[in-house]
Amino acid sequence: MTAALHGALDRVAADGTDPAALAGVLGWVLRPRRTAAALRRRAADGANPSAVGMGPAAQLRVLAGDPPAEVHAALVDLAQRWQRLGVQVALVGDPAYPPRLAQGWPDVDAPAFLAWRGRLPVDPPTVAIVGARQASGYGTGVAAWLAEAVADAGVGVVSGGALGIDAAAHEAALDGVSGTTVVLGCGHEVAYPRPHARPGGLFERVLEAGGGLVSELLPWQPAAPAHVRARNRVVAGLADAVVVVEGGARSGALVTANAAADRGIPVLAVPGDVRAPGSVAPHRLLGEGAAPCVEPSDVLAVVRGGTSVPVPPAEPNPTPAGPLPADVAAVLAAAWPRPVRLDDLAVRTGRSVGTVLAATTRARVVGVLAEGPDGVRLRRAP
Amino acid sequence: MSGASPVLAVAHGVAMVGLDACPVRVECATGTGLPGLRLVGLPDAALRESVERVRSAIERQGLRWPGGHRVVVNLAPADLPKAGSGFDLPIALALLAATGQVPPSALDRFWAVGELGLDGSVRAVPGVLPVAAGARDAGAQGLLVADAAAPEAALVARLEVTGVADLREVVGVLNGRMTRRSGVPAPTLPSAVTHDLAEVRGQAVARRAVEVAAAGGHHLLLAGPPGCGKTMLARRLHGLLPPLSTDDALEVAAIRSLAGERRPDEPLSHTPPLREPHHTVSAAGLVGGGSGIPRPGELALAHRGLLLLDELLETPRPILDALRQPLERGEVVLTRARRQVRYPCEVLMVAATNPCPCGYLGSPARACRCRPDRVERYRSRLSGPLLDRLDLHVELRAVERDRLAGPPDGEATEVVARRVAAARDLAAARWGDGRLNRDAPVAGLRATTRDRVARTLASAVDQLGLSARAFDRALRVARTLADLAGEERIGGDHVDEAVAYRLSDLAVTP
Repeated sequence: MTAALHGALDRVAADGTDPAALAGVLGWVLRPRRTAAALRRRAADGANPSAVGMGPAAQLRVLAGDPPAEVHAALVDLAQRWQRLGVQVALVGDPAYPPRLAQGWPDVDAPAFLAWRGRLPVDPPTVAIVGARQASGYGTGVAAWLAEAVADAGVGVVSGGALGIDAAAHEAALDGVSGTTVVLGCGHEVAYPRPHARPGGLFERVLEAGGGLVSELLPWQPAAPAHVRARNRVVAGLADAVVVVEGGARSGALVTANAAADRGIPVLAVPGDVRAPGSVAPHRLLGEGAAPCVEPSDVLAVVRGGTSVPVPPAEPNPTPAGPLPADVAAVLAAAWPRPVRLDDLAVRTGRSVGTVLAATTRARVVGVLAEGPDGVRLRRAP
Repeated sequence: MSGASPVLAVAHGVAMVGLDACPVRVECATGTGLPGLRLVGLPDAALRESVERVRSAIERQGLRWPGGHRVVVNLAPADLPKAGSGFDLPIALALLAATGQVPPSALDRFWAVGELGLDGSVRAVPGVLPVAAGARDAGAQGLLVADAAAPEAALVARLEVTGVADLREVVGVLNGRMTRRSGVPAPTLPSAVTHDLAEVRGQAVARRAVEVAAAGGHHLLLAGPPGCGKTMLARRLHGLLPPLSTDDALEVAAIRSLAGERRPDEPLSHTPPLREPHHTVSAAGLVGGGSGIPRPGELALAHRGLLLLDELLETPRPILDALRQPLERGEVVLTRARRQVRYPCEVLMVAATNPCPCGYLGSPARACRCRPDRVERYRSRLSGPLLDRLDLHVELRAVERDRLAGPPDGEATEVVARRVAAARDLAAARWGDGRLNRDAPVAGLRATTRDRVARTLASAVDQLGLSARAFDRALRVARTLADLAGEERIGGDHVDEAVAYRLSDLAVTP
């Protein structure tokens, strides 16, 4: 390995990650005709007896060897691209690599390497809150409620960074002590989903709030359906419990839930409207034995081990309604976490549309109201 | 060879360059040379054929054709391109004057416009109304037009419009042998409300936005699933616009006349125009265009009225972009190699769009079949410069069935229109020229706002992640809200409500 290559990789290697090992694994990944079969042959050759019985990711690390000269330039380029974005990389088994992703579950499909910006959730208990992109106002309201409450209780929130439920959960957990972690379905250079990746978008705010963006892909790899589905197992693997809020019959949330179930991670599901298309996934999970999740303490109880822990009534928000007039706040509180359409708000309070719009704008500005496609809802539990 | 022939006779006509009328002198000189008639002065194809029509008309009517002479007819100014068959009558008159069949002095007072049939009958041409107004402004006392066009031309005040059936009548009238038949102005039609706001159920926010749009002339965006009432609301907005003044009605009629859309005997309507071009409209159809002198497009035809663009996002982007500058300037400027033509287009634009490609995003009735990233791409086409020009954004949802069946729950057009008119009067008195808050100067807007209120607005725009241009737009809307409330200064409530009509860029996510 040349000094230039070593230096380039050293700059992106996380603490405790050996640049030489990194070069071996990434060199293999970059190789034009790398195949699982080729790796198996290497293992079978008996070149390294310790590789027998390991999962493919760990095997790769042991067997990859030095990168061939023809990929040196590509490796340097790869490292520089990561470095430009401030990405750190660790291999499975390294100290910086989240141990629960590498151990404790059959090591068949742990990512061989993780590339992340910001911070990785290593020690704190973490909950995955996942669901459909095409979420209802009810779904995003519940996701935000759960995420905010568990984040306040010191539990990290991990999700897939997609639109809809994922975004609502990340957004609500921003102010929590543990930050929130986004598992990308694409490489770090790819702006997906676009509204989150643009300047000032969700991803930037996640980093500012001390959270992290994680990817198991090379920086230029797109958000192909296979990549997005595969990242769901990483979401599950980083969590101590998975909560499915809303999802259709073919939702990626079911992939996350199945991955969690396979590894013995508890799965919870939020009951929804029985006729809404977005209730199919959580209701199916409930039928298959997932625990119902109707309030944040349900999640916290699972994460903290068996006993039901009431959510600390810490800081019961004295003014969840902020500058809203009492009657408007009452309508919103009654509907919460469902949103209320502005038309209905005017009709039910008997106020003019103008005063309702002015009041809701003020409340949005100070952050007590969230606006979604289905109307407005209180950000915090009343 | 003889010297230059003296000008023998002059008749007057009017050439239209867009809405601008240019007086044209039709000069006729007879002289020695090979017998024949030459028409000079940039005539177009229809005008060049005029010679044949004029000759046949004169001969069939038993009048004398200047045979045996070389005749030159010049349309001055020579460098102005002239189009259409409306010069048939002035050319014939110049020839008749040159041969002493009509008194030349009469042609100074009576200008003429009309096409001639081979039998000598006088026919109407499109665009008589602006021609008549142009003739009056250029000094004509009277105008000779075809009978059919007389009611339209007679709408112009201080002009003796005379309807004529054929060339013989023209000659008789000009010689004082026949009585002049004065044109009777077409009746005027008061503005009529056809769609009442009271018929709309629910949609309280959209109804309010429609009122604000009408009061301030603010462009409006309605987004919602099919069948939620976007078009219905837009038509009701049309009913809220105050009736046109006579001058404005004439201006609107002149544009329609130029476009050939107006029957000459049609009553003068005081209803503001409502144009609903289909979303496959071409750029030329929208802003105007065509060979020769560009014709007015939908934008100009909607002048002082409402332009409804349904399915906004189905219209190709370049065509939407062509709207931007005219909307900002209030006029369409069409520049061609020879000419620049201006058409006024002070329009109120209402754009309607589906929330997603399939249209059912957020609909309780049907599931949306669009992938979220496709929705995002679809909506991103709205963003940027075009969205910034739409002052009011409203997302509609389908109304529940029980409310549709229920009793009317809103105010009638008549009630709302009174508030709209009062607010428009306040704005017009403040800015002058009957100007709307949409076109008000920014400095003037700021002058009616307290600093504290402006700061509130700035922080709201910042907090909600709106673009900097949204500040200016929201201030305009707030001005209209204050006018609707009859208040001199823009208050905190007004700016807060104005901000609520801005769609945030991230409308897809909570």
